[in-house]
Amino acid sequence: MKSIGNVKAFRSISYAFVFLMMICAAMTIGILIQNAWLGWHSGVIASVMLLIVIDRFYTYQQLKSLTPLSSEWAIAYGTQWIVIVLFIRFLLSYANGLAAFLADLSLFARGYLANFFTGELVITLLLAVLAWVLTAQFLGLLDEIGLDPQLALREDPGRLQADVVPAHQRLLNLIFSLGIALVILTALTRINTRAIFSSPDGIPNIEVSRFSGGEAGALLYFIFGLALLSLSRLMSLQTHWNSLRIPVSSDNLVRQWGVYSLFFLLILAVIVSLLPAGDSLGFFPLVGTFLGFVIGVLFFILQFFILFLTFLISLPFRLFGQATPMFGGTPPSLLPNFPRVPASPMNISAIWELIRSVFLWGALAVIIVYSLIRFVRQHDRILAALRKSRITNWLILAWQWLYRNADKTRASLSTAIAEGWQSFIARLEGKRTLSPPGWMSLRSLDPRRKIYFFYLAMVRRGAEQGVTRNPSQTPSEYAVTLENALPSAAEDIDSITEAFVEARYSRQEVDSSKAESVKAIWGRIRNALQSKSKGGKSTNK
Amino acid sequence: MIGKFLPLLFVLLLIAAFLRGDFALTLIYLVIGALAAGLWWSRRALAQVETKRQFSQHAFLGETVKIDLHVQNKGWLPLPWLELRETLPVALVGPNNFQSVIHLGPRADARFEYSVEARKRGYYPIGPLSISTGDILGLSDSLLVQSQPEPLVVYPRIIPFSSLEIPSQSPQGTLRHTLPLFEDPTRIFGKRGYTSGDSLRRIDWKASASTGRLQVKVFEPSIALETFIVLNLNAEDYYYRSRVDSTELAIVIAASISNWIVGKKQMVGLMVNGRDPLTVDGKPQSIPPHKGKPHLMRLLETLARADIAENSALVPLIQAQRYQLAWGTTLIMITGNADDELLDELYQARRWGQNAVLILAGREASDDMIRRRAKTFGIAVFSIATESDLKIWMQESKRV
Repeated sequence: MKSIGNVKAFRSISYAFVFLMMICAAMTIGILIQNAWLGWHSGVIASVMLLIVIDRFYTYQQLKSLTPLSSEWAIAYGTQWIVIVLFIRFLLSYANGLAAFLADLSLFARGYLANFFTGELVITLLLAVLAWVLTAQFLGLLDEIGLDPQLALREDPGRLQADVVPAHQRLLNLIFSLGIALVILTALTRINTRAIFSSPDGIPNIEVSRFSGGEAGALLYFIFGLALLSLSRLMSLQTHWNSLRIPVSSDNLVRQWGVYSLFFLLILAVIVSLLPAGDSLGFFPLVGTFLGFVIGVLFFILQFFILFLTFLISLPFRLFGQATPMFGGTPPSLLPNFPRVPASPMNISAIWELIRSVFLWGALAVIIVYSLIRFVRQHDRILAALRKSRITNWLILAWQWLYRNADKTRASLSTAIAEGWQSFIARLEGKRTLSPPGWMSLRSLDPRRKIYFFYLAMVRRGAEQGVTRNPSQTPSEYAVTLENALPSAAEDIDSITEAFVEARYSRQEVDSSKAESVKAIWGRIRNALQSKSKGGKSTNK
Repeated sequence: MIGKFLPLLFVLLLIAAFLRGDFALTLIYLVIGALAAGLWWSRRALAQVETKRQFSQHAFLGETVKIDLHVQNKGWLPLPWLELRETLPVALVGPNNFQSVIHLGPRADARFEYSVEARKRGYYPIGPLSISTGDILGLSDSLLVQSQPEPLVVYPRIIPFSSLEIPSQSPQGTLRHTLPLFEDPTRIFGKRGYTSGDSLRRIDWKASASTGRLQVKVFEPSIALETFIVLNLNAEDYYYRSRVDSTELAIVIAASISNWIVGKKQMVGLMVNGRDPLTVDGKPQSIPPHKGKPHLMRLLETLARADIAENSALVPLIQAQRYQLAWGTTLIMITGNADDELLDELYQARRWGQNAVLILAGREASDDMIRRRAKTFGIAVFSIATESDLKIWMQESKRV
């Protein structure tokens, strides 16, 4: 199978990614130790972690075949860890200088084991165990994903169960879990731990620095983690296709996958670097910090090995009490320094700051709400209890009331907007629509609307006199009714009705003289109505 | 899947908010960006994938149908991987379906060719084609879309008949007949001397003048064999142990008879009471008698799709159909069993002027009893147990 042919390449690349991720982790831990404990050899501790990772890469394949807790297993692991403990101890001694190293060696040779275990050694050993375990977990998962074809394609009935999490998912979980831990550690590296307890008033004073250098480790860890995930995804898919015997028709799938992954991560890195993030490190300073650390660590390790070799060579000379030709007791070089100051801090404008803040709190709110919804959905009982509770009912009622009111408001608003729009259109077209009832100026009306006004006034006054217009009545029918009640103004009523009908239903232009004549007619009708009203009242008296 | 990111995002946001750790914001961008961009890429790219199958949708038994599958990426976003899994009927391909993994670049396409064997009569869906892809990092679940299946009709086996003498009472057709009752005046068979009682219309005046004696024309008798085949696919009418084989045999008989009749340029119709996956109510529509190859293909398609049905009574269907058939039509009833009700209905058809023929398909213990009962009603009966019987029967069919 093609995928099996790719296993060697996949193994090299994935191991490289794991190593780079572990470098990032070691770098962050080293900075934290540097901040927390003055005098401790943080660089040495980080170097030890990386050496353990390299050792694990080398020994993993050999040791994984051993039966756990068997005698062979105990011997292999025991031997290895004894060597590791001694190595770490002498490395820490060497970090204090050659004289200290030789003194420790001499103490150890004489059996002074009490001086052997220091706090620094214990912490370093714990971190070494952590590096050992984490590396083994990474390698185990990579084997399961596809680096070990036999393991990956094994048809284990237990693995077919639906509740078994796929290896790629477990790798994702591991990367993210370690990432969370690294982020927390990076945040801790920003806190000045010495300042917390050195406050003169006794109250812990938390000082947060803008940049610690651990950020580079955390950021690069995630970038390498995503690259490893991409490779792992390809391996898991190939394993899946092999297990189902699905042939891969494209010859260049693997190569294209690499190209797409590279482009994807590059574009992502560019976009991320462009987004507002406060005291961003910047891409090149970030890489520079990382490379500086790696080169420093490697140089230190190389120097240590050269020194160790020269020490071995010088032993026969020491035996005969002669001066060593190469081992001149030169002190070790400085350990790799971790960056403390950002290379190029960005100037953040107020707008960017605001956008950042809005994004930050918005995202937090979304995550909390989303988590709550998921939690409630996953627990049906809670949902049922919430539905039954009075508070929820009240909240639902309040929501419904708000919703109804909002609906009404929305309806009124939309009506107002529609009317406004109609009016606006009418004005644009040179027309005028009937304005809603209210106070109006008669002078502002055009002749047609003036006629409307006088006719409606007649209808209103007629209604006040008891001659109400039935909605089903036409103007002519109403005119007959009003004429019966007001025979003296019969001709005027006919005239005003005709004028209204003409103004309302014809397209002819209505001139102002016509409106004036209607006004005069209306005046006469009004007088007739008033006299009728007075006559009616006097009769009543 | 998004749930896996929540703890990380929560921690990052807390750090960004409370410890002024702006690097956390960069990490948030990175994680959300990887998730969102991966999802967007895979969804967008998958939406631009188009698939098209090209194949002959009709096949005769034993033919190999080649299927061309064209997969095209119409967008500019590449697809790092695309898993194609075609669902094909087991009856045509066995357990090995077509499946493949490809990479499709921007505006790229791929072509595949695979074949299926038309091993068994039927109406088969080719597809659906499952297309799955996903993001390059595996942060989200794989996406899956399915294309619509397309039908493939495998016609039933047709046994070519050399001769099939189905009785008919419909005169003036194109088939020769032994009864002088069905003489066709357009088919002059010969001449003979005039005898008393011969119609003057039949006298061949030219021949009489040349021979000096009155000669009359002898016409060849012929019939029009308008046939209507009724195929019973009611499960209860077939012996349960050989139900599948017997119904298949019945379909083969119906297809072979239809083919023979159309070959003789006669009209043939079909009614089946089985299931049809293409009809709304699941029952095949009755096809009235017609001539011609296109009509034969329509009959064969119906027979290809037909399947056994439960509780599908035949007699009411015949009753409804019988009144629409012309006088003299031959009603061929193909069934696994015939009860008195069915025989009575065939007898009524005979009285109506139609010629009823009963063909019993498959092995039925009560064959002899049915034969005796049918003889009582004056209905011709043929028993076909296997396809080989059908061939032998066709050679000996002259004695019907």
